[in-house]
Amino acid sequence: MTVTTEVAPAPRRSSRRGASFRDAGPPVALIVIFGVFAALSPQFRSFGNVQNIVDSAAVLAVVTCGITFVLMMGSIDLSAAGVMGASALTVSLLVANNRNGNDFGFFGILAAVLLGCAFGCLSGLALVLLKVPSFMATLGVSAVGLGVATLMFAGVQPNISDAALKGWAVERFLGFSYLTWIAVACILLGWLIQRYTRLGRYAYAIGGAEEVLTLSGVQVRPYKVAVFALAGAFYGLGGVMVTSQLGAGLVQAGNGYDFSAITAAVVGGTLLTGGRGGVLHSAVGVLLVMVLTNGLVQVGVSPYWQGGVEGVIVVAAVAAAVIPQRRRNQVVK
Amino acid sequence: MNALEVRGLVKHYPGVKALDGVDLVVRPNEVLGLAGENGAGKSTLLKALVGLVSPDQGQIFVRGQAVKLRNVVDAANHGIGMVFQEQSLVPNLTAAENIVLGSEGAGVRRGIYRWNEMRRLAQEQLDKIGSPIDPLARTDTLTFAERQMVEIAKVLRIEQRSQHPPVIILDEPTSVLESKEIETLFAQIRRLREFASVVFVSHRLDEVLDVCDRVTVLRSGQSVGEVATAGAVPRELHRMMIGSTGSDDHYHENAATPVTADQPRLSVRGLSGKSFHDVDLDVAAGEILAIVGVHGSGREDVCRALFGAEPTTAGEIRMDGTKVDLPSTRAACAAGIGYVPAERKIEGMVGSMSVADNMTLAKQKPRLTGPFVAPKKQAALVDSWIKRLSIRTPRRDTAIGRLSGGNQQKVVLARWLIGGDVKLLLLDHPTRGLDIGARSEVYRLMRELASSGVATVLLADSLEEAIGMADRILVMNDGRVAAEVACPSGGKPSPLDLVKEMV
Amino acid sequence: MKKMAVIVSLSLTAAVLAGCSEQQAGGGSDTAAADGACDPSKVRLVGQVRNESNPYEASWLTGGDTFAKSVGLTQERLTYGGDSTKQQEQISQILAGDTKCLVMNVLPNGDSDTAPIVKGADQAGAFLVTQWNKPADLKPADYKTWLSHITYNGEESGQQIGDALAEKIGSGGIIALQGVLDTAAAKDRFKGLQASLAKNPDMKLLDQQAANFSRAEALTVTKTLLAKHGDKVKGIWAANDDMALGALEALQQAGKTGKVAVAGIDAVPDAVAAIQKGDMTATVSSDGAWQGGIGLAIGFCYATGKLKVADTPADDRAFFAKQFLITKDNAAEFAQPKTDPADFECGNVFNRKVGPLT
Repeated sequence: MTVTTEVAPAPRRSSRRGASFRDAGPPVALIVIFGVFAALSPQFRSFGNVQNIVDSAAVLAVVTCGITFVLMMGSIDLSAAGVMGASALTVSLLVANNRNGNDFGFFGILAAVLLGCAFGCLSGLALVLLKVPSFMATLGVSAVGLGVATLMFAGVQPNISDAALKGWAVERFLGFSYLTWIAVACILLGWLIQRYTRLGRYAYAIGGAEEVLTLSGVQVRPYKVAVFALAGAFYGLGGVMVTSQLGAGLVQAGNGYDFSAITAAVVGGTLLTGGRGGVLHSAVGVLLVMVLTNGLVQVGVSPYWQGGVEGVIVVAAVAAAVIPQRRRNQVVK
Repeated sequence: MNALEVRGLVKHYPGVKALDGVDLVVRPNEVLGLAGENGAGKSTLLKALVGLVSPDQGQIFVRGQAVKLRNVVDAANHGIGMVFQEQSLVPNLTAAENIVLGSEGAGVRRGIYRWNEMRRLAQEQLDKIGSPIDPLARTDTLTFAERQMVEIAKVLRIEQRSQHPPVIILDEPTSVLESKEIETLFAQIRRLREFASVVFVSHRLDEVLDVCDRVTVLRSGQSVGEVATAGAVPRELHRMMIGSTGSDDHYHENAATPVTADQPRLSVRGLSGKSFHDVDLDVAAGEILAIVGVHGSGREDVCRALFGAEPTTAGEIRMDGTKVDLPSTRAACAAGIGYVPAERKIEGMVGSMSVADNMTLAKQKPRLTGPFVAPKKQAALVDSWIKRLSIRTPRRDTAIGRLSGGNQQKVVLARWLIGGDVKLLLLDHPTRGLDIGARSEVYRLMRELASSGVATVLLADSLEEAIGMADRILVMNDGRVAAEVACPSGGKPSPLDLVKEMV
Repeated sequence: MKKMAVIVSLSLTAAVLAGCSEQQAGGGSDTAAADGACDPSKVRLVGQVRNESNPYEASWLTGGDTFAKSVGLTQERLTYGGDSTKQQEQISQILAGDTKCLVMNVLPNGDSDTAPIVKGADQAGAFLVTQWNKPADLKPADYKTWLSHITYNGEESGQQIGDALAEKIGSGGIIALQGVLDTAAAKDRFKGLQASLAKNPDMKLLDQQAANFSRAEALTVTKTLLAKHGDKVKGIWAANDDMALGALEALQQAGKTGKVAVAGIDAVPDAVAAIQKGDMTATVSSDGAWQGGIGLAIGFCYATGKLKVADTPADDRAFFAKQFLITKDNAAEFAQPKTDPADFECGNVFNRKVGPLT
């Protein structure tokens, strides 16, 4: 090759920083699916329903925000269900409720979020110290979380009477429930963390090429633990939000959120292998999933068909989302 | 005072003595070449210099001080940095982040990124090497050469740590670069010499002689000589590297057999695809046809299209006169076509699988009894090929990733031979990353296969290789066949003849 | 890893059980207590449910205690945490002891868990009453000491709350929240709703969605359906109380508490409280306390010879028991579980039979 190539390839300067074509898939899919449902059902496009979709998406958005950081790192987190259960019970027993005389209000909420954070920490430590793969470590932590929740449950469901917390689900600001605004704040916070903090950037980099970080003298392990802890805090908040919605602390508060959140993140364009995607991607994914479940009900698809139809559309949406990437890969190799 | 000195370094691995008392001296502001065959201990030595390997015996001195390097950071604090062979950049971060990674300094305040500061820090490093790269570009949008510049900029950051002129180690930096890019790199190296010491590692002697002031030659874990490049003779260096003067007949031309077939084995007419148009070519049984061309000439894609790995839009492919359809690689395998990809480690082999499994990956039949793998049959088959190709592997079930590059390549080649039905071999840079000895072995194999009647299409690593090996050379330019040059033994064209057609 | 452990212990249990049953089969049958051989003070009473943290099952065990006390005995309370393996282990441990005058009132974890329990008890000659779960082809009449299987007609309860809704709203639209679609409970209860709709032509089913027996899913689905149908929704039929409570939350968030009638099944305490408060219209109770007592009472009556298997009609061996519709009128009575000693007298033990098991 010493003489073979005299001509260098034409220099190419494409869009390098901002959102590029390959990130456009999920938003386009969201718009298309929304458009189709809006055309099919007048109720679907009513403001009340849009409100309803966004409000319903709030908890999933917060949980997905957390899981996104873990996925970006190339790990996986299945602890959401257990952590949310534990946090739901914690908060419902600490704010005004029908089981005991506690009325710690905001501090109860804070305690539940910190508990989630601690569970996340536990997952992270099991991963970096005991070298348990994140899949198993978080599954175990989920079981621990459910166990703790069951212990706190002790046979009688705590119903909350804390007006502020109940108000999260009921009170509205600019037409959307407080829960929705909390979710928006979380997404914003998540985006800031992802863009402007070392934690966020390193999470991203760990997913891209962990060995390189080590070779550059970065201690990766504390960041991994911190990312899991951050995710745990989001799940903790998610558990509090579910409690506000249901008016009671349920052990099953987080049931199904683990896989829904992973689905939403992947639909939004976050790769399970890590290193790509982000909080905003995930937010789009969450909306996509919620629009889909809501739309299928609105256009009157029979419940017996819904599961299957939803699955097909999710796969199709992901396939559509990766088409730009697929083409790109072919150019590269 | 020497910038870096190594005395009597010894490193044992189970069963191997990777370093056997190496001595090395790097003077301030010089470019030292480190040459040696694969397995001579170059990588181990380099790893020891950046703290990735702790030597069993011997000492490392930095500016006269004996030091113990525990890890990369430690080495960087002493002013030693390395540009790794496999690029060590995080692809999804910006160039700036990569450059300051691990020592962000003022770029990060209390965990919060200050992008402007980050950009400034990175720009400072990029300016040192005069690179026009946008520091906020995502690394995976940069070209390979640009990324290498980022790597060098990153290594230069260590200057800030040690407050001394740094020692910069470049491990095989040219192996994947195009020649224009290599020129840029060399310009950079000469610029680096102004304020740093450089250790340049390459298996290409011409490059080493071109850019270095001095060359240290390693062989079997020992330093066997030190030569000033001014006035050095490549052959002398060759001799030092392999222990004896290599045969003059590097390309085994004596083993070349004249092509006698009257009907071409492979005949392609009007083949068109995304990056190539209207390509005609013929290869006879026993013939080696080389395709040369610059980057972007479309020759790689033609090669892949012949293996069914790249879609075509027009044209026909005939094997022994019969038209074949190649919608997939599977069809190509069935038609008796074998393909050795350029990216051996990614496309050519499964690193964690054994030699035996890699060898039997494409042609299953010879190892099967009915639908089942017959272990005895497989063992006998694999062992016979290990012997025939003299593949140096401890056992047939050793993971292929642990073999040297040349032996890996032989296993990849054997994959197509075990079926006994291969008629056409497509070799895409088959000697990329191999040292002289291993190259020679691959050349010998190619000759052997040709004389047994296999037709070969070769995308050579260099023009010299193409000229040395081919019976005929096709020059491609901008997706079209520009010229065909006969290349018989005894009547070889000069590289210049070919270059004229290429640009 | 957890799964692995379960599989290992399952197969171990299977091996142990197999060993046991062979041994018992050899010479065990003559040790079985003949009807009526037991001294009332020697009878051993065992009640087994999933867990005590669930109010319904807790009331079941309390009912068992009450009955045991009334005959001067104590009930051994067993809980297996919804773990089939653990349930089988507990049963085989009990059966390995003295089984001569053993009476067991068991809630099998699932249909498939019933057969090994029945076979073990039969071979050991222990008196057994099972409730809720059993495969259709497994019949107490084919066994000597499996006295009875008691369950509840989901179709009936589904219809009862449907009728209650119809009565409350008069005419108008309702939406239905179904359970996990492929479970027998969900299917039967929905069938009951359909029967109720046929009976009450003024009540229209606007929409039906699965909320999988989950409070959270019911919340989301109800919100969506409220957005879809707006004020046309006059009532919400939920296949269990958890979903009904989720629907209540959705109504609260939509500012419609009390304006839409909600009915569920199971009589969980929160639902009964909501009915007392007037937020909810109806639920159906199977009377857990009675269930806990009746199984032991039936066994006790046979063990002490007051009832004889030979004289028992096949209808009593597997039957649907009576369930109670709870509305505002009688909600207070169900706020605290209690039992009536008269129900457990040997002449009355089959009084709550409403029909043979089909």
